[in-house]
Amino acid sequence: MYRFLLKRVGLALITLFLLSVIVFAAAQLLPGNLGRNILGPFASAHDVAVYNHEHGVDRPLVSQYWTWISHFVRGDLGESLEYNVTVGSLLGPALVNSLKLAALAFVLVVPISILGGVAAALRRGRFADRAITIVGLSLTSIPEFVTAIVMIVIFGIALQWLPVGATAPPGSNFLVQIKYLLLPSFALVAVLFGYIARITRAGVIEALDADYTRTAYLKGLGARRVIVKHVLRNALLPTIAVVATQTGYLIGGLLVIEKLFNYNGIGQRIYVAAQFKDFTLLESGVMIVGVVYLVATLVADILYSVLNPRIRVGGVE
Amino acid sequence: MDRDALRSLDEYRFEAGPPENALFDEFLDGEVDRAGFLRRATVIGVSATAIGAALRTMGMGAPAYGATVAGKAGGRLRLAIIPGPSGDLEPIEFMDHGRLATGSICGEFLTRSRQNLTLGPELAVSWKSNADATQWAFNIRRGVKFANGQALTAADVVATYKALTDPNGKSQALSAFKGILGPGGIRAVSDYTVVFYLQAPTAGFPYLTSNTTYQAIILPANYQTGTFAKTPQTTGAFNLTSYTPGVGARFDRNPSWWGGKAPLDGVDVTYYSDNAAVDAALLGNQIDLISQSLYSSDRPLFNNKSVQIFATKGSPHREIAMLVQTVAAAKPLLDYRNREAVAYAFDRDKAVKQLLGGFGDVGNDSPFAPAFPSSDLTVPQRHQDLALAKKLLAQAGNPRGFGVTITFAKFQEIPALAQLLANDCKKVGINIKLNMIDYNSYYGGTYSGGATGRGTTPWLNSPMDITDWGHRSVPNVFLTSAVHSGGVWNEADYANKKVDAAIASYQAALTLKEQRKYARVIELQMLHDTPYIFPYFFNWTQAGSKRVKGFKADAIGTQYLGKTSLA
Repeated sequence: MYRFLLKRVGLALITLFLLSVIVFAAAQLLPGNLGRNILGPFASAHDVAVYNHEHGVDRPLVSQYWTWISHFVRGDLGESLEYNVTVGSLLGPALVNSLKLAALAFVLVVPISILGGVAAALRRGRFADRAITIVGLSLTSIPEFVTAIVMIVIFGIALQWLPVGATAPPGSNFLVQIKYLLLPSFALVAVLFGYIARITRAGVIEALDADYTRTAYLKGLGARRVIVKHVLRNALLPTIAVVATQTGYLIGGLLVIEKLFNYNGIGQRIYVAAQFKDFTLLESGVMIVGVVYLVATLVADILYSVLNPRIRVGGVE
Repeated sequence: MDRDALRSLDEYRFEAGPPENALFDEFLDGEVDRAGFLRRATVIGVSATAIGAALRTMGMGAPAYGATVAGKAGGRLRLAIIPGPSGDLEPIEFMDHGRLATGSICGEFLTRSRQNLTLGPELAVSWKSNADATQWAFNIRRGVKFANGQALTAADVVATYKALTDPNGKSQALSAFKGILGPGGIRAVSDYTVVFYLQAPTAGFPYLTSNTTYQAIILPANYQTGTFAKTPQTTGAFNLTSYTPGVGARFDRNPSWWGGKAPLDGVDVTYYSDNAAVDAALLGNQIDLISQSLYSSDRPLFNNKSVQIFATKGSPHREIAMLVQTVAAAKPLLDYRNREAVAYAFDRDKAVKQLLGGFGDVGNDSPFAPAFPSSDLTVPQRHQDLALAKKLLAQAGNPRGFGVTITFAKFQEIPALAQLLANDCKKVGINIKLNMIDYNSYYGGTYSGGATGRGTTPWLNSPMDITDWGHRSVPNVFLTSAVHSGGVWNEADYANKKVDAAIASYQAALTLKEQRKYARVIELQMLHDTPYIFPYFFNWTQAGSKRVKGFKADAIGTQYLGKTSLA
């Protein structure tokens, strides 16, 4: 188990290193000149050059990379070039917001999708199975901005049941915050439901057909116990892997949802930073999303190994 | 004729200088209409009493300034600003809508350009020029306090304007003051009088002290750079009490505002980056007012019964530039007849209808917008004329047309404008290839050096491009920056000595009659040379809920909320 964990952590660190190199290199390819963006069209070429020099963006790329990454690993994210405030003060609240939205979406989508997948599998080939599969696939195939706009129009504008913006007024209590996050969360549930439910359905069907399930029934165990104790434990392994891979998307990949619901999440912050060549904000933002993604994957791996002893003993990796 | 009014006016004229007397003569002779008289009189600092006397002398009613529809006192306005500030909230560095809209909620200027382009007093109570408009004395309002408790004096105005005109600082207002005012020309002659010594006669100078120069928010002389968003230190109806970059800002009523008690308790600003989101927020009753709503991108809000559109005419426009002489120019565009052919092929009336929903005026290929009183509207308006366009092409030796690439930013309705232009030009054989780039790339690159001396920026070096311009209350900046041969924003690289001379004369002209004379010279010459196509001047439009009362849109996008209330 320890060897397995060490290997996973080592791989995560290598991945993060590669990510840092890629994001740094990609940031250099963004069009425009930092000094010109900040100082505006009337600044002289000399002033632009001085600004770029003061902020170190005219130094060799390797030197710039080293300065950034060595500060990043020490927790010093630097100062935003666009806003002249610390990157931490911008990314911190944005990350918290993203985590809140991701958590609510996660809490809604995982049980609903698993229940849907199990129900479809248990009624394989019947109306309920077809309905769940078709509805799930349809929702997944519709782009999230379409689903979100339809929900905004129906529930936010026509019925005015839910707020169309995701940001609750400052000082709002927990329940009010949940209310504001419901519409974007439902939009995410719509996107992810079909995918997770389908994986769950396939896993459950495979488990239902397995010898150990038949044996459990033959031993005289009740259907409920067989499903909970034997079927789900085995059937949910691929579901866990799928859910884990969606965690990064739920935290850092919700740009469209964040824009449509005007939510100050980390996706929007990264997007705006890319627009204005705010290197420090952009690079740190992407790295933080990368860290969150790898941590989520690591947790999923551990959970997977707990549920599947073959991994713990080194048989399957 | 009202004899008492005439006597009162004569008494004023006895004390008044040449600019005021010339204006009164023009008005009394019928050469300037009521609206033109009001605009001009407020610019040169004629007192309200004298304006009223002149109007009564001519048998006209006195002007009614600032009539507002009142709602209830109290409440907080939820204002959406789109897009949000794209940089540090530092007034002299303002160069985008997000920053100017935010800063203008709390900041004030020496003067304020009103919706009808008349000029009103704000932190200056009166102003007057010498005979040739090279010196302007501004009397500063007494009893005004900054939010930090300091009293406003002439020293604060001097410090603010020195920073604005400092060529070595970070001022984004340098284009407005270039060739007109430098840091050495600003002096306090008493605690409450500031004199501006100009580098060239400028009759429209008072406009440069208004919200049109949105960087010119008056700040305390001891203002520290970088503290605008941290410590309230402005004079306006509201104080900025919290600011989160990219998210929003909070303003609370300034209890010691010189203008009295603002009806609203405060203003809560939320920054948006997506039009669909901000439209939904207004329709879903999450906000009360949007800082800018465009027909092209916010169509669900137009003709919607639950929404009111606040609109004002002005001079914001697009400028289709055709490089006329540098090495980067497209060869066919070096011939003015080919440029004219492009202008005649284009259906600007359709563009106003389709892209602006009618919220705009067609342009006539010069910066003289119909809203400016100095524009000579007797100059024939250019409309689509495909036969003439073909004839011009044939005369230029291109009977089958030519090909050219137009570069533009993905910004507001500009891509649709480029498409309309290309479609129209195709009808006469001109094949326009579209090159759309992002906004930062369009204005990116260097601005000087290289083979042409114009750097590498696509904005100054594309054979043909489209640029967005904001509103100005007088056309001076458009003329000096984009049309004059030495202009810093002269995209077309246009140089015409006759036009340069007319611009200088126009700027120095003290009367509307004279201004129109030189405007006509510029308008006619630009129509002939056609370095630019000015397709339209659009109205500034803002959508708001029907609860919003007493708000008036301002064509540059500043948000003046001191008289606004909620029903």
